[in-house]
Amino acid sequence: MSRCVRMRPLGLAVGLAFALLIPWTPPASSEEGRLVVGSKNFMENKLLAEIFAQLIEARTDLSVKRQLGLAGTQVCFEALRTGAIDLYPEYTGTGLVSILRQPPTGDSRTALTTVRSEFLRRWDLWWLNPLGFENAYALAVPRDRLPADPPRTLSDLAAFSASLTAGFGYEFIQRPDGLPGLKTRYGLTFQRVQAMQQSLKYQAAAAGEIDVLDVYTTDGRLFVYDFVVLEDDQRFFPPYEAAGLIRGATLKRYPEVGSVLGLLSNAFDARIMRQLNYRLQEGGESVEVVARDALSALNLLASENSPSQPASKDNELFAYLWSHGSTLMQQTIEHLFLAGLALGLGILLAVPLGLLLERRQTVAEPVIRGIGLTQTIPSIALLAFMIPVFGIGVLPAVIALWIYALFPIVRNTYSGLRDAAPDAVESARALGMTEWQILSWVRLPLAAPIIMAGIRTAGVITVGTTTLAAFIGAGGLGVPIVSGLQMADTTMILSGALPAAALALVIDGTLGMIERGIRPRGLHARPDRT
Amino acid sequence: MMNPPALSVHDVTMEFEAHVRVLQHVNLDVPQGQTLVLIGESGSGKTTLLRMFNGLNHPTSGEIHLHGESIRIKDPIELRRHVGYVQQDGGLLPHWTVEENVSLVPVLLGWNPEKRTSRVHELLDMVNLDPTRYRTRYPIELSGGQRQRVAVARALAADPSIVLLDEPFGALDSITRRNLQRQFLELKRQLQKTLVMVTHDVDEAIRLGDRIAVLKDGRLLQIGSPAELLNAPAHDYVAQLLGHRSRGDHP
Repeated sequence: MSRCVRMRPLGLAVGLAFALLIPWTPPASSEEGRLVVGSKNFMENKLLAEIFAQLIEARTDLSVKRQLGLAGTQVCFEALRTGAIDLYPEYTGTGLVSILRQPPTGDSRTALTTVRSEFLRRWDLWWLNPLGFENAYALAVPRDRLPADPPRTLSDLAAFSASLTAGFGYEFIQRPDGLPGLKTRYGLTFQRVQAMQQSLKYQAAAAGEIDVLDVYTTDGRLFVYDFVVLEDDQRFFPPYEAAGLIRGATLKRYPEVGSVLGLLSNAFDARIMRQLNYRLQEGGESVEVVARDALSALNLLASENSPSQPASKDNELFAYLWSHGSTLMQQTIEHLFLAGLALGLGILLAVPLGLLLERRQTVAEPVIRGIGLTQTIPSIALLAFMIPVFGIGVLPAVIALWIYALFPIVRNTYSGLRDAAPDAVESARALGMTEWQILSWVRLPLAAPIIMAGIRTAGVITVGTTTLAAFIGAGGLGVPIVSGLQMADTTMILSGALPAAALALVIDGTLGMIERGIRPRGLHARPDRT
Repeated sequence: MMNPPALSVHDVTMEFEAHVRVLQHVNLDVPQGQTLVLIGESGSGKTTLLRMFNGLNHPTSGEIHLHGESIRIKDPIELRRHVGYVQQDGGLLPHWTVEENVSLVPVLLGWNPEKRTSRVHELLDMVNLDPTRYRTRYPIELSGGQRQRVAVARALAADPSIVLLDEPFGALDSITRRNLQRQFLELKRQLQKTLVMVTHDVDEAIRLGDRIAVLKDGRLLQIGSPAELLNAPAHDYVAQLLGHRSRGDHP
């Protein structure tokens, strides 16, 4: 009898949690008349996506939603396959090696034919006509590091590479069409291989810390740095021709998109792309502006006289924060919304679950350990797992953050209740309190500060982890952090990181005040009475 | 005797699993207004037995009657509200004031606030705590002896016919313990309650008990007045337990 009474609010809370979740079924790709364009999280890919988006907006009646900066090939491809996005710029070599898991091939024609037929057959995904340039891997050596008779090709480099220190990107070191294959093909050996972040390699090479680095052939920095790009004389690197990758369903529904994007066939070459990339990377111009200029140069936009003033690259943090105030405020609100929603849902599930587990001691430890395991999944991996099920954007981000928030709350609710003044609980029972009265009058008030401490921990974790939500297009203060990392722009990184840290402190302080507020009197002696 | 005993235990056995017997065939009666002390070592089953009297433990077989009625058929919550209970450390709710703690059972029984307040004053006076000074204190702001007196007041709040005490003075220093035992005897004379107390302190048993029940390994070895136990121990263990007293410091 008393058990029924006790279960009712618990069932209610769990029911409520599910009721809140159910309306959020995975996002149906496009609403009527709207297309979702995605991109990976590097500048060139974002630029191409923005070019697609602007062209579609200018030449069709469709509206375009942008999901730029998704975390890498896997996330983009899953988002496309599951219909969370309709279109994104991809490279034939990536499709061949990373997605189809086929051995790299040196012939661009074969590569394109293979990915086209396989993507169509397996997933009804269409490769549009290539845009006209390759963004392939290449090795480069700073000119001042070269001997008098400089090498022209990778075969030349192999002759003396054993004395060189290499700085390579993490991906390059891993991929079969990167360093491992390259070593075998050319017999390259290096004195030392240093794994480095893409944008740091250039500075390291210029500073003489590394002698050879992997570059992308369209990298804008090749304009400014005096590097010799070595020729792939044995045609090892697979071709990385850029092209739009689009869902068959989308093409069928909006055939005009296919025709409009066809205007971009062979529209760019590597030189133009380096220039455009240079404006983004070094000029600090926005993707929107550079994309518009690129389309204008092709006479594909009705030119509306758009003076593209290069955004001056503020290196003064406060000036930057000031000038981006409204964007940052927007991102802060998004951030708080994501974190708050995840934490709220976390409380809604975790507190009742902790109560339930305290009544079922035998299953409690295994269940709590199981929930604890979720903490060990790297956040970015957890976010990636969400995509096939929930698509991209706010929903998967909130779900991932929600999972992270559960553990500290469940654990503290459980142990707080279990350890709350056992003598007092015993006497309350012996004097005739019902189990429900014991819970609500004795155990919950005594456990409240401990439960609240769990919520506080979860709150701080959530605010921190929410910075990663930007990787799957959910916005928040992670957006400037992620962009800043790609552009090696410390100011931009700080413009996201500082408010995020401040938010974490504010949340911690606020929840700490609540924690002190709900601590029952009588747990600490008042100084005037003892 | 026309009136049924306040408490009677008929052939009570309690076992865990198949072989672990905590209590074996225990029989005893407690007449109205008497004090029974259950004495024994740890593991003798004395506390297990005490906790059966308000339904915290349940016998595997046998019957327990309270004023002639089997407690098996009573709602345990209702039963506990009419049986006083004091435990070793007092078990006061740390986040409730003295007044709130003493009012616990009256609140559960739905008394109105005026009746509760006057009862709290009466009880605190009875256990020699000045209501105006102590009413609003929290347990942490009291000494061990004061906490135990509040626990006794709480157990008496709804005027139960029977009060169970589980080593009520066990955690106190010897001076305080003596003091409280004296007050306890005073209260006992005043209130004429039926009391069942568990202790492992022989002196305490002899001082406070009208009758003493000696338990060992789940069996009731002997039950009788202190004098009967001292003069005619029915068992070596009883003699040994009380031995130093009969030979010793009380001529």
